[in-house]
This record gives sequence, C-alpha cells and structure tokens, in this order.
Amino acid sequence: MLVDPRLNPLSGSLIDPTTGSHPAVRFETHPAVRGELYNLDMRSYRDDVIENVVRRTTADFKSQDPRLLLEETLYNERLRLRRSRTSPILSPHVANRNKRDVRFIGRIQAGLKSTVSLDDYQHLLKDFGGHFAAEICGNFEPKMYDFAIKFVPWMFDWILNAASVKRFIPGVSSESLQSRLRVVGEVEHLQKLAQKGTILLVPTHLSNIDSILIGYVIHLMSLPPFAYGAGLNLFSNPVLSFAMSRLGAYTVDRQKSSPLYKATLKNYSTEILKRGIHSIFFPAGGRVRSGAIESHLKLGLLGTALQAQLERYQENSPNPNIYVVPMVMNYHFVFEAASLIEDYLEAAGKHRFAPHDGDAQIPIMSLARFFWKLFSKQSEVWVRVGRPLDVFGNFVDENGFSLGPNGTTIDPKKWLISGGELKAVKQRDREYTEILGEKISGRYRAENIVLSSHLVAFSLFQLLRKQYPQLDLFRFLRISRAQRIVPMDRFYAEAEKCHQMVLQAVDQGRLHLSGPLKCGDVKIWAEEGIRQLGLFHDVKVARVDDQTITTDDMNLLYYYRNRLTGYGFGKIDEGLQSKKFFGETDEKGFLV
Amino acid sequence: MKKGFWSSSRVAVLGGGSFGTVIANMVAKNVAQVSLYVRAEEQARQMNSTRMNPSYVKEMVLDEKIRAASTYDKVFESDLDMVIFALPSHATRAQAKIVARYMKGHELVLHATKGIEEQSLKRISIVLAEELPVIRIGAISGPNLAGEIAKNEPAATVVASPFHDVIIAGEEILSNPRFRVYTSHDLIGVEWGGTLKNIFAIASGILDSIGFGWNTKSLLLSRGLAEMVRFGVAMGADAETFLGLSGMGDLIATCSSNQSRNFRVGYALAKGDKLDEVLADLGQVAEGVRTTRIVYEFAKERSVEMPITEAVYNILQGKWTVEQGVAHLMTRPTVQDE
Repeated sequence: MLVDPRLNPLSGSLIDPTTGSHPAVRFETHPAVRGELYNLDMRSYRDDVIENVVRRTTADFKSQDPRLLLEETLYNERLRLRRSRTSPILSPHVANRNKRDVRFIGRIQAGLKSTVSLDDYQHLLKDFGGHFAAEICGNFEPKMYDFAIKFVPWMFDWILNAASVKRFIPGVSSESLQSRLRVVGEVEHLQKLAQKGTILLVPTHLSNIDSILIGYVIHLMSLPPFAYGAGLNLFSNPVLSFAMSRLGAYTVDRQKSSPLYKATLKNYSTEILKRGIHSIFFPAGGRVRSGAIESHLKLGLLGTALQAQLERYQENSPNPNIYVVPMVMNYHFVFEAASLIEDYLEAAGKHRFAPHDGDAQIPIMSLARFFWKLFSKQSEVWVRVGRPLDVFGNFVDENGFSLGPNGTTIDPKKWLISGGELKAVKQRDREYTEILGEKISGRYRAENIVLSSHLVAFSLFQLLRKQYPQLDLFRFLRISRAQRIVPMDRFYAEAEKCHQMVLQAVDQGRLHLSGPLKCGDVKIWAEEGIRQLGLFHDVKVARVDDQTITTDDMNLLYYYRNRLTGYGFGKIDEGLQSKKFFGETDEKGFLV
Repeated sequence: MKKGFWSSSRVAVLGGGSFGTVIANMVAKNVAQVSLYVRAEEQARQMNSTRMNPSYVKEMVLDEKIRAASTYDKVFESDLDMVIFALPSHATRAQAKIVARYMKGHELVLHATKGIEEQSLKRISIVLAEELPVIRIGAISGPNLAGEIAKNEPAATVVASPFHDVIIAGEEILSNPRFRVYTSHDLIGVEWGGTLKNIFAIASGILDSIGFGWNTKSLLLSRGLAEMVRFGVAMGADAETFLGLSGMGDLIATCSSNQSRNFRVGYALAKGDKLDEVLADLGQVAEGVRTTRIVYEFAKERSVEMPITEAVYNILQGKWTVEQGVAHLMTRPTVQDE
C-alpha cells in the first residue's frame, strides 16, 4: 500500500507540518463556500419550511385530543413565563421574546373562549405550532446573511490575531491562528461526502465557545454553511449572534418543555435535513457537566437523520444519504468549567437532575478575554473530525457507501424495508437510532485526543486518590490544601505510568494523542501540561512550588481529569486490572 | 406490512441438524419456499429424494416446499426474506463470515443456537451482528425438544429481538395450531436462558443416573434457576425473563427429558464413562459441556456465586467424583441472617 508522505506515523493521521492541522484545512483567507443554505430564496424557504413543519407536527398529534394538548401546551408555557419572570439572569433579548410570547398566549386564550368545535381547537393548535416553528426558524434575512458570511471569517481572523501577543513584539510577524488551532482527522473524507449527500455533524459539547469554533472550523475546511440549533442565550450576544448566523443558526429554547415544542423542533430538523441542508447538533443536548466524553446521547433529534433519509428515498432524491460525522473538541481550559462541575457534583450528590442551561448571557468582554488568553498564552485547541457514519452507525467509505462486516457494503435502503416495503416503522427506527447513539458515543471515545493537561490532571488526581482510598468522591474533593501536596518525583512517576497506559490504548486505536504527548520525556510533556492546565482560571489547577505539586481547586482538577474517563484507566491504575469487564453493559461504572 | 407478505416469502434455514430440520418443516407450512443448508452433499441429495433426514430426525416427512442444498450459492439463489441459523455455537461465526457475502441487507435473521462463543463470551446474536451486513437479529429459544415437535405434540417457543420486525416475522413463520410463539424484547435474557440451562441438564442427568428422586431434582431445578438469574442479571438481562418459557420452561424440559443431549452426557458420566467416549457416542453436539467451562471460569473471575455450575465443571473435568460434588453442594455453609 502506498503511504502518504504527509501521514504522521504517531497519530496515523494526515498532518501538514507547517500548520499541524490536516492539509485540507486552509488557514489562508479564502472566499466562503456558499452551498445549499446560501442559494435558497430565504423568504419563500422560510414560509415553506414553517408550513411543512406545522403539517408534520399536526400529523404527529392527530390521534390526540386537541383540547388536552392545547391546554397542556398553554400550561407549560405559562409556567415557563412565570419562572423566567423571577430569573435574575434574564437577558433583554430573552425578555423581549417573552413579552411577545405573553401576547401570543393572550391571543390563544382569547381564542379559546370563542371555540365551539374540535376544528376550532385544531386551528388554535396549528397557530401554536406555527408560533413555535417561526421562532425556531428564526429570521433568515438574505441581506444580513450575505453580510454575515463575509463578515464572520474576517471577524474571526481579527479577534484571533488581535490577541496574539507577538503582534506587539517588534520584529516578530503576527502569529496566526494556525499555531493554536489544530484541526485533524477525516477532513478530506468529510469534504468528499459533503458533495455526495447531506452532512450531520455531531460534535462533543464542553463550552459555549464550541458554537463559534465550529463555525470557524467549517469555514477553514472549505465547507458551506451548516444549519445549527443554538440556545436562545447565544443570540442575546451580538457577536455570538453574528457567528451563529454564519452557521445558519436556528433557535432552540431549552426552557420550552411542552411536547408540542419538542415535536416542532424535531420536525424542523427533519425538514431541513430532508432538504439537503448540512446540519449540526450536539447530541448530548447541552454542555457536558462532568468534563467527560458524553456517553448518554439524546436520541430524539438524532432520529431525525434516519427519518429524513427515508423520506429522501421515498421521493427518489438524487443524493439521499445523510452522513453522521462525529467531531471531538478538546481544550486545555474550559471557559465555564467551575460552574459546570459544580452542577455535576450537585446533581450526582443529590441524585437529581441537573438544572437547565440558564439564559445567562456571555458578556462580550469575557469572550474577548477568552480569546485573548487562548492566543496570548499560546494555548492550543484540538479539533478532530471523526470517521463518518451512516444513519445506522456503520462506517462510510470515501464514495459514500456504508460498510458492513467482512468487506460487504450495505445498501441502507434495504435496512429500511420492513415486510417488503420501504417505510417508516416507529419501533424499528427508534432501535436503529439507539444503536447509532451508542456508536457515536463509542466513536467519541475513539476520536478523543488526549492533551498533556488532561494527562497531568489525571495523574495528579490518581496520585491523590490513592492516598485517600477510604474517602468517597465528595469527601475526597474536600481534602485540605495540606493534604493535596505531592512531591514532584512521585508525580513524575505516576505521570509516566499513566502515559504508558494511554500509549497502550493509542496502540489499540482507542484514542489519539496530541503533539506534546508524543514526546517520551515525562518532564517535557508534564511541564507543558502543567502550564496549560486550566490556565484561564483564577486559581491554579496544577501548581508547582519547590519540588512539590499541588492543586488549588480539587473540583477543577476532577473536571479536567474526567476527559480520560471511559477507558478503564482509573481502574487499571488502581491495580484492579482485568481483561474482561463484568457483564456486557457498564451500568455499574466498572469501566471508569 | 403487505398482506400475506410472509406467506409468499422465501426463508433459508442454515443447519440440517435435528432442530434445523424441525424448524425448516414448521416454517415451510407458513412460507412459499424454504432452503435448508446442510454440510454434506450426500445428505442434501438424500433429503431431496427421500424427503427424510433419518440421521437426525426419525420418521418425520419433510414438507415439499423444503429444498436441501449443500452450497450457499444454491441456498441464496433467489432473494431471501429471512435467514435462520441453526448451527452449533462454535460453527456460527465461521459460517456467518461466508454467508455475509450472500446477504443483501433487507433479510431478517433468527438463530436457534443455545450456546455462546468461547473466549469472547459473546452471545450468538452479537456474533451474527459482527459478521453479517444486517442488524435486525433475534433468537428462537424455549423448551423445544426436536423429537417431540417432529411428532407434532403441542409446544411453544419464545422469539426475542430488540426489533419488532423480527418478532412479528418469527410469529408469522413459526406459528401453527400445534406450536405457539411467545415474544420478548429481552434478547440477552432469552439467549442466556437457553445457554445456561444446559449446565443444569448435565447435572440432572447425573442425578437421574445415581437414582435420586424428585426432592433432589426440585432442589437442582430451583437452585439452578437462581444461578441462571444471578448470572443473567449480571450480563444485563431482566430477571423476569428467566421465569418464562425460555428460562424456567427450557430448564424443566432439558432437565427432565432423557432426549436431551446434555442430560445424556451427565447420565453416562455418572455411570462412570469417560467424557471423551460419551461425547463420541453422542455423535451430536452437546453445548452444555463447553458452556459449563466458559460460564464457570467467567463466574469465578467475577465472583458470581454459582456452586452447582462449579460442581458440574469439576465433575466434567474429572477432578471430582459425583459423590464429592453432591457432598460439596450439600455441606456448603448456610446463609446466616444478619
């Protein structure tokens, strides 16, 4: 077999030596690729989509009593509005939306008084669905859209390069983004498939920053804009809002919990995928609280890919396939780490559900601060494009064919034939989607890139953990500062051991390494990792003083360490090594 | 589903052993055509000409819709709607690798193998999913002694799969007035039930051979069931599944009938025969011998308590005599209430 000279022998992936990213990632300024979304006549597109979404939603609920459904939706909406009135973090943007919602609900209630027949209820329900659909769809102003497409890449370049510290040092040319952002993995494969079908990008979700970053990465990969479901809160920030438009964002309001809203959202996703618009959604629903690779995915939205593909088959579309592409993003520090891990621990400790993503705005200043820190401290962000899958979770080759075992190719259409007919079967499709969900979370782990800072956090955490084996997690996280100090040589020994463990997993294809970890000298990569680890935070997640290492914040250490859960490292490290894991499922957490 | 879809469908049964032949005959009553894959060309020819399969099932006349074939080219000559694997567990993966190339993707798959893959401890449905270009896979399992079904005695089975498609298809093609099909979504529980009961079938043969009565047999059955549940739940099954036809039902049938191959192994072993000779005499596959070793080793490593399995394992290995095994079980420390 011919070996590509650009192939990096250590990671097994294509790397351009000057940028450290995949060679198909183009950092030099280049015009935006327009694609499907751009070419649409937005005004008629919007009306058409809304109409279709409402039609789908009506069909979904046709067997239900419209009165009950209407009352349930009204109740949910009024409850949400009442709660958000007392919310201290309401942004003006959301407040405006709420005012509009109040007016709308008033109209519906007025309408309720004059209803007599079931048809009237149906009609009101349609109005409600239309209201939701219009909100989700957003206002695609072709003019603004065009402007955003030109503006956003420029804005990115400006923000990112403005923060570069070397810009201010005379004699050194402005250091560009390419030294900080590494985009690796199946970039070319993704580009090819984008020509052959519709892409559904499913990234991991750590931070609100993800949303901007993805938009930019898509641009760098010379891909057309993707449709993207963004939380309402992201729209309240004008800078983010712009970045969002670049992605063709539509709105998702996680506070709206009525079945009618959820169905509308799903139908919107199905509708745009069916129209061949590349889409993105975070399958975990929100940012992952624990810092780990997500393992529980929300299947509702994920299932829209299969539904859309089936409909495209039924309509004999020329490129019916939808390709699901996992993507993993890794940071040395996460903007919201402290509050996320607190949420996580609170939820885990009290065995209750984590609170929703709040409506908290992201202040422009902290956004700027983030990028400033990112690019002045020479931190790195790693993005890995994973191997593309079909809607059932089978791998897909470069020509877009689904691969089965033993060198077989699978015609996905055949998997959708039941009783001799090509049609939707609810139970079957739900099962397929569940399998896809498991496949994606498995791929997340395999595509994950270990950063030096994660391994430092992991090693330090393990070392401390082994000193206090009798404490449960919550007490352990509260050990005193004096208890957290570890001699440097012991730390190096542990780090070396963990490094070996990770290298072994890399050999088995279970995960990937970032550049610095390819260095065999523990002192070199550990130093880099210690410097990078959570460097944005006000506290030091790893602090070295005088031959000892310690942490100022156990929760943050735990958060960054968690990126390496799911591989069995913790267990192996604590001497509980075993070849097989108990049972076929890991509900008891044996794999951790 | 199109009306009458299954009655006009084509089905392949892979494996011309006793159960494969019986299944093919049942299925033939409900579908348009059944291809039965057998290993030897001579056997295929004989079956097609005499309409009998005397080396496995005596006195059962094959339905005229059955066509036996010894090559996959012939079996897969026309498009199939369902493929049923009725092969011993150790042969399943190798055959599936070959069959994979013949399958198109719309076929549903059932298997009737009561065993697991050695070493990997994978259930047969997982093995098939790893090798075939399909994912709609299910299992047939229950108290189905081939000889009795061949004589058209009333019986029932369980068809299990995560997919409704497969369950419905199983019901359509297997049901007849003398054979009922029950359904389950707990594929893990159904497959492990069919696998684990073979261990206790060996134990039961041993007890009968010594001449112990019903007290002892009931003791074996109920404590055996407890071991099955314990192990099954650890593997991700629902405990209730083991109370059904594919758990308790199958356990009673295999532990009581001297038709059961595993039972016969235990019976001969307790008479003092050597294991190799017993297996050679049997001429067919006794899944229980292999299963006992795999399950015992795994349970030991994971500390799942399975004392009967341990005893059967040691007797099969020739490490314990039957008396030692019985003594070991009867003198275990009783559980003290806290």
